[in-house]
Amino acid sequence: MAKQQSREQGITLRGSAEMVAEFFSYGINSILYQRGIYPAETFTHVQKYGLTMLVTADSELKNYLNNVVGQLKEWLSECSVQRLVVVISSKETSEVLERWQFDIECDKAAKEENTPREKSQKAIQDEIKSVIRQITATVTFLPLLETTCAFDLLIYTDRDLAVPEQWEESGPQFIANSEEVRLRSFTTTIHKVSTMVAYKKEAFP
Amino acid sequence: MERGGGGTSGWGGSKEEMEGNTMVISVLRSFERFMAESADEPSGLDTTQDPLQMRYQQMMRLEEEAEQIHSGTRLLQAEREKMQMELSHKKARIELEKQANTNARNYERETDRNQELLKQIKQCQEREAEAENKLKEQIVANKSCQRSMESLNKKLQEKENQLAEANEKSSVLKAKLSELQWNLMNQEMQIKGLESQKQELLEQLEAQRKQWQEASQQIQALQAKQAQMAKKDQKIQDLEQKLSLQEQDAAIVRNMKADLAQFPKMEWELQHLREENAYLREMKENNGLLREEVEGLQRKLERYEKVQEERVALELENEKLQGKLNTWETLGQSTGLSIKSPSDVSSHFVALQHRELVLKEQNSAIVSSARQLENARKQLQEELLKVQSQLLEEKKMREQHETMARCLQKRVQLLIKARDGMRGILDSYDNELNPSELAPQLNFRLREAEDLVQKTEAHAAEMEVQLSRALEEAGNQKKKADMLEVELQVLKGQESSTDLSIFIAREGVNALRLKVEDLETERSRLEEEKRSLELKLEQVTLQGGDYDPSKTKVLHLSVNPASLAKQQRLEEQAHLREECERLREMVRVLERGGSLPETSEGAASLQSPQEIADLKKQLESAELKNQRLKEVFRTKIQEFRKACYSLTGYQIDMTCENQYRLTSVYAEHREDCLIFKDSRSCGRKMQLLETEFSQTVRDLIDLHLHHQDSIPVFLSAVTLELFSRQTMT
Repeated sequence: MAKQQSREQGITLRGSAEMVAEFFSYGINSILYQRGIYPAETFTHVQKYGLTMLVTADSELKNYLNNVVGQLKEWLSECSVQRLVVVISSKETSEVLERWQFDIECDKAAKEENTPREKSQKAIQDEIKSVIRQITATVTFLPLLETTCAFDLLIYTDRDLAVPEQWEESGPQFIANSEEVRLRSFTTTIHKVSTMVAYKKEAFP
Repeated sequence: MERGGGGTSGWGGSKEEMEGNTMVISVLRSFERFMAESADEPSGLDTTQDPLQMRYQQMMRLEEEAEQIHSGTRLLQAEREKMQMELSHKKARIELEKQANTNARNYERETDRNQELLKQIKQCQEREAEAENKLKEQIVANKSCQRSMESLNKKLQEKENQLAEANEKSSVLKAKLSELQWNLMNQEMQIKGLESQKQELLEQLEAQRKQWQEASQQIQALQAKQAQMAKKDQKIQDLEQKLSLQEQDAAIVRNMKADLAQFPKMEWELQHLREENAYLREMKENNGLLREEVEGLQRKLERYEKVQEERVALELENEKLQGKLNTWETLGQSTGLSIKSPSDVSSHFVALQHRELVLKEQNSAIVSSARQLENARKQLQEELLKVQSQLLEEKKMREQHETMARCLQKRVQLLIKARDGMRGILDSYDNELNPSELAPQLNFRLREAEDLVQKTEAHAAEMEVQLSRALEEAGNQKKKADMLEVELQVLKGQESSTDLSIFIAREGVNALRLKVEDLETERSRLEEEKRSLELKLEQVTLQGGDYDPSKTKVLHLSVNPASLAKQQRLEEQAHLREECERLREMVRVLERGGSLPETSEGAASLQSPQEIADLKKQLESAELKNQRLKEVFRTKIQEFRKACYSLTGYQIDMTCENQYRLTSVYAEHREDCLIFKDSRSCGRKMQLLETEFSQTVRDLIDLHLHHQDSIPVFLSAVTLELFSRQTMT
């Protein structure tokens, strides 16, 4: 009860990391559904942030996402993450077609202080809700993915971070000729997450 | 009297009432009677009789009636008296009867009492008899009592005798008792004596006890004393030891005394030594101080030595400096400057520097003026160039104008010639033709031609004017150019004059300018580069962000969906390629026309068309065979069934799985059938199911199936039954 109350009144580093990680989990699921990376019938409906979210039921994918998000949460609470990128690439040519970039600004001062920040969970969730809504709305202007695609998650971390097992360094996987659209951002006062989507410019004949 | 009167009046009242009543009744009766009479008598009387008479008669009748009523009342009175009499009589009788009853009762009571008394008498008599009997008995008892009395007396005597004996004995015993009492007394006396003795003894005992206590106390005291004694012994021993020790000490003391005798001497020596010691300590301190001083002095010495060396060096330097100074002085003297001291030199320097600064300023001013002049020169040169170019243009224009003028003059000449020609022609025409007819036309033409000529002339004049103007302009331009050239020359002269003074500076300036120009170009280049880089950077930040590999690294799970997909794709590709290769090989082999080697993969799956055709044929033949067999079987089955039907008399059909319907040859109706079910799970093999027909042959079922448990017997019985039924009908 006391914990709950403290949670409602303010937000701690741990709580913030948890919330941001949760947002990523739902956000990535939402992108995968909206962009048709996985078939729609493998998703189930879940109520979250006052919205009906779609979450994958594919056990392999679930496992992968849990793995990544779990690690991300750890790094978030260490304030060593700078960015998360969802790279959508063609299965056939491995060409990067879309890049969902979530810039994370960590307030490293929060690591030392013990007092929770003054921001209610409700307010943060409202912000997250609007970001998710925007992600859903981007389908209207993003070009149709004509080939079958796969996705990858890149995490930009501090250089001095030890690379855990199963992880490896990767290239940034830029899109050669891209257009960018900035989406809304939200902040937990400890982590600020600004969203952006870059997609391959349509080559007009 | 009054009462009586009242009573009579009351009575009288009632009588009158009675009379009233009777009167009324009598009136009623008379009326009735009258009515009856009137009824009896015909109504003719009424009409005939006089009313007065009638009234009289009535009155008469009423009087008679009154008399009758009177007599009636008297009768009634008499009757009432009689009634009263009877009543009193009855009362008297009742009283008498009551008395008679009481008397009767008294009588009865008396008789009862009498009887009771009689009974009592009888009882008394009986008692008497009983008492007599008792008396007799008593007498008998008395006699027996007397006898017992006698015997008792005897006994009593005996007893008395015995008593006497006992008395004697008792006397003896009393004597004895007295003796014994004596004895007792004596003994008591003795006891008392003993008790006194005892008391004495007790007293003695107490005294002894007290003594014992005292003794014990004494013992305790003694024990305490013994302990004290022991302690004291120990003390004594200790003391003895001490004493011995003291003796030893005394011996020692004695020795010590001898030593003590030496003590003052030793003390004196000690004093002496202490003083010496103090002296030595002071000496030591002094020594330390001195040593420190020595060290200090040594250091000083070293410093002095160093100083000395330095001094030597300085002296050397001094000499050098003096030499220098001398040279300076000589220099001063030689140069004529009043340099006598470094301050002078420094002031000189300052002055020089000041002058240098001034010069520099001048220089810079000159440079700036030179630059200005240069700029001016450049401007002038540019202007000159412009002017020259203008001049050239003007020249060109003039030439053009001149050529144009020449052309125009030529044209004018030509036109004049033409006009002359035309005039000649016209004249000839005029001369030839009738001038009156064609004159106006020709005149008109002539005028036109003249106009044209005039216009051309005007034009030519205009052109000429223009030409002259252009020439004038050109002249002006030339003048200007000349002036400018003069100016230029003047400037050049100036330049050359300034050149000399600032030639060196100019070179530097030029070099610097070159450098500056170089730098400027480099700067612009760098700026461009920067801009391009910024653009790139912006793009990158927009797209991938400020990805700084020195600070950031990009991580991803080695097992991610994209790589998995890629791998899968690669595998699939490889697989497909392999398959393609294999198929290609197969095609090649097939193309060669040879049959597939058995070793090659997929040979089993891909057979030659020839073989396929063979197999198809085989399949067809097999199917044909199957068809024929089916037909044969069908006919055979039909035959078999027919045989069965005719032999057993039953047609057996299989309606559904494990159910057989039996229809007899002799069945009365088509629907009459028996259904058997083959249920192997149950104990029995076949079970008869109930049908309409089976209910008609219940007795046969009971007999053959339930009792004999045989289906064939039952079936034959049914056949027989049906057969008999058919034959009967």
